[in-house]
Amino acid sequence: MTASSARQINLVGGIITLLTLIIAILWAFPIYWGIVSSLKPENEVVRPYIELWPETLTFEHYIFALTETQIGRWYINSIATAVGATILTISTSMLVGYALSQLRFPLRRPLYWLILASFMVPTQTLIINHFVLVANMGLLNTWAGIILPQLINPVVIIVYKQFFDQVPRDFREAAVMDNAGEFRILFKVYMPMNWGVTTALAIVTFIWSWNSFLWPFLAVTKTEMMTITVGITQVSDAFGVYYASQLAAAVLAGLPVALAYLLFQRRVTQAITLSAGIKG
Amino acid sequence: MLRNTRRETLVALVLIAPFLAIYGLTFVYPTVAMVNLSFTDAPLIGPGQWVGFDNYTRLAGERRFDTAFWNTAYFVALSVIPGTFVAMVIALGVSRLTGRMQALVLALFFLPYILPVSVVYRLWDWTLNFQFGIAMYVFDIWGIERVPIFKTTTWFMPAVAFVTIWWTCGFSILLFLAGLRAIPAEIYEAASLDNTGRWTMFRRITWPLLWPVTALVTTIQLILQLKIFDQVYLFSTGGRPNDNLVLVYYIFQRAFVNNQGGRAAAIAVVLFLIVVIVSVLNFQLMRLAERRK
Amino acid sequence: MAEIILDKVSKSFGSVRVINEVYLTIQSGEFVVFLGPSGSGKSTLLRMIAGLETIDDGRLLIGGKESQTLPPGQRNVAMVFQNYALYPHMTVRDNMAFGLRNIKMAAPEVERRVQDAARMLEMDALLDRRPSELSGGQRQRVAIGRAIVKEPAAFLFDEPLSNLDAALRVRTRVELAELHQRMNSTMIYVTHDQTEAMTMSDRIVILNDCRIEQIGTPMEVYTRPASRFVAGFIGSPSMNFLKGSYKDGAMTLLDGSRIAARVAVPEADTYELGIRPEAVKVCEGEGDTKGQVKVVEHLGERTLVHVHLSDGSAIVAQDGGRSQVQPGDEVALRFDISELHLFDSSGKAWHAE
Repeated sequence: MTASSARQINLVGGIITLLTLIIAILWAFPIYWGIVSSLKPENEVVRPYIELWPETLTFEHYIFALTETQIGRWYINSIATAVGATILTISTSMLVGYALSQLRFPLRRPLYWLILASFMVPTQTLIINHFVLVANMGLLNTWAGIILPQLINPVVIIVYKQFFDQVPRDFREAAVMDNAGEFRILFKVYMPMNWGVTTALAIVTFIWSWNSFLWPFLAVTKTEMMTITVGITQVSDAFGVYYASQLAAAVLAGLPVALAYLLFQRRVTQAITLSAGIKG
Repeated sequence: MLRNTRRETLVALVLIAPFLAIYGLTFVYPTVAMVNLSFTDAPLIGPGQWVGFDNYTRLAGERRFDTAFWNTAYFVALSVIPGTFVAMVIALGVSRLTGRMQALVLALFFLPYILPVSVVYRLWDWTLNFQFGIAMYVFDIWGIERVPIFKTTTWFMPAVAFVTIWWTCGFSILLFLAGLRAIPAEIYEAASLDNTGRWTMFRRITWPLLWPVTALVTTIQLILQLKIFDQVYLFSTGGRPNDNLVLVYYIFQRAFVNNQGGRAAAIAVVLFLIVVIVSVLNFQLMRLAERRK
Repeated sequence: MAEIILDKVSKSFGSVRVINEVYLTIQSGEFVVFLGPSGSGKSTLLRMIAGLETIDDGRLLIGGKESQTLPPGQRNVAMVFQNYALYPHMTVRDNMAFGLRNIKMAAPEVERRVQDAARMLEMDALLDRRPSELSGGQRQRVAIGRAIVKEPAAFLFDEPLSNLDAALRVRTRVELAELHQRMNSTMIYVTHDQTEAMTMSDRIVILNDCRIEQIGTPMEVYTRPASRFVAGFIGSPSMNFLKGSYKDGAMTLLDGSRIAARVAVPEADTYELGIRPEAVKVCEGEGDTKGQVKVVEHLGERTLVHVHLSDGSAIVAQDGGRSQVQPGDEVALRFDISELHLFDSSGKAWHAE
């Protein structure tokens, strides 16, 4: 390779890197634009030219959203249902994952097949009967009703099973020699040894639950029981067609999950790759 | 390993009991009930008469089902392959970066995936707003005529596909990056000692080694996009939902707008079967590919 | 501290016998090593005593108590695992206390035992660390400490030194021997490393192919191996084996040389002559046989000379540290006939008187 061809390759590499950076900025631009617009007064928002930074920075739309709408109530609903769904999903899935990985019992294989089968079933097609079920149980417009169908999350079980499978057999045997019963082995040895994956799974389960739209949209008809994801699009009367207010509400709805991601970036990406069946 | 079979079965039973209760209630029972419902003329809630395959045969000649089916197919075609391609190109670019720079750029690409669909809707509804959207100013600058994108049938599906790619691409990028990291550096070093050029390097080394991830990403996207509803529903508010119908949307309409539980269930069963068949086919293909290796 | 008796103990995995009717009595306070190549069943036998594998048939007595059906925790034995299996999320203290807390031992007693063990192993300062903050040798000691606190009837070690580097292994070997002397407790130790077996044990149990080949003190198995397998397995460099026929007090080797052998074999027949390299000397003048030198290994205090006899069979001889022998030389070899062994075709051994 001659010096000039080496330089040429470096040049091409540099251009590719530069392009990647430009695309990355353009990619995130709509998010930036939404945030910036939400910080402008309404008359500035609709100015017929591009203004990348507000001339007058204002939080009036946020104050409006937080005081004049039910967004606070929706926040509580979202937090309660997302936290509830997360705790229930993680705890039940961990127990099943442990049983599948470590215990021998009749019907273990059929159980495993049932879980794999539920991967293929699109929950969106079950909405009719979920609705009938939840309605018959009298759980429409309740937190429990919003949570219930969200508990089908076979991926969490499979990831747990894989992690428990990877724990060397020595640990189990050492614990058995140490007189630990099954429950102590699970709660004192296997669970603490896998805190990392539990955290990761819990964060993404929370994000998935917070973001779920179709089911909470169906299960709730009263505005005060809506989750924030549904609320900000369904109750437009509250804002009129004030773009900045709508955007402020959207920013508020996206903030918790965006923060969760930015704070736990590594955990989130780990859990996402794990959930796709790739070892992270 | 010495095992006490009876005790172990008992413990296992205790551990899986909560799961069994939940899955029985929210998965097994609704699935059976859905199939059952599809053979009746029941409303959304309440009993109905057994009508056999009537609900299915009626689907065959129905205009709305036709629209929903082909729109779904159209949307899948617009989003899956292009989405995979875009994700791969971006992942290749991101993988060239290192350290904090890579983390930052990856975060920019990944952030949309984390957002709820309604936030995505608000952002793009604003960006592509006919009157004030920043994209329209760009159209003006380039001399393109403004279009009310989500109110125009021709533009609707491509635009929703575009927004969907923007929204979900981060996930695919992540998988591609994991795949790229799994390719050992020695292979590239060996290849560069063999005087391999950039394009040959990609075509003969990166692409074949990345193929399993590409197949995985495509499949996940395919199964995901068949179930499209949220974006279509949100972007067609105030527009023309009947022209933009997709299968899940149609289920929703029949069940919750027309109060026809039985007929809605029939559509649900059809979609259910499509997704299951695609999943099984894909599973078999993957197994076949694995065996050939 | 207790006696351990295996009485006609057997085990199968499916249709494959992995332990076949083993009888073994381990005295109280004895340090016994199970030695054998991989797949010989030595680990399985240890795990059967621990309770980690079932005993299909026969009886296991630990301190006089029938234990073959007891769960592992109730057999009053402690085990040190090959990879230590230290709970990574617990401190050293919690690692050691875990087993005691599981049987609901009173907290002050737990603490006393942990402190005692820590003092004995000189790791008082490490009690609040986690395994990831310890060196390989320190982890090894924690694993031993976890066994000590249980004050068990017997300690079981499953190849505990195999993860340490060479220097540390030698040091830990000595420490373990000291520990045994100080605690004077029954220890069973599994290894495939004959140096560990020879240096530490009171008695060695040599296993091969799911059977016990020989039980004896290190010197017994070295000087009077019970079979061709033991003779070849123990000792490094390993014993020389030469084919030949025995008649009237002498072996005739394939190269024609005759070696006087005072061995009480039952009948004249073809045998294999076994002799360790240190009993074959390079000598001046006429020896028992002669051959051409192929390789010379200078080890400092002695020299190993690899020789090919005229019939092509190879033999390793020993010479002094300052040996002048060169590859290609013709050398004469003298056998120390008091250290001869003969093996018949079934592998049974007879020793020179």
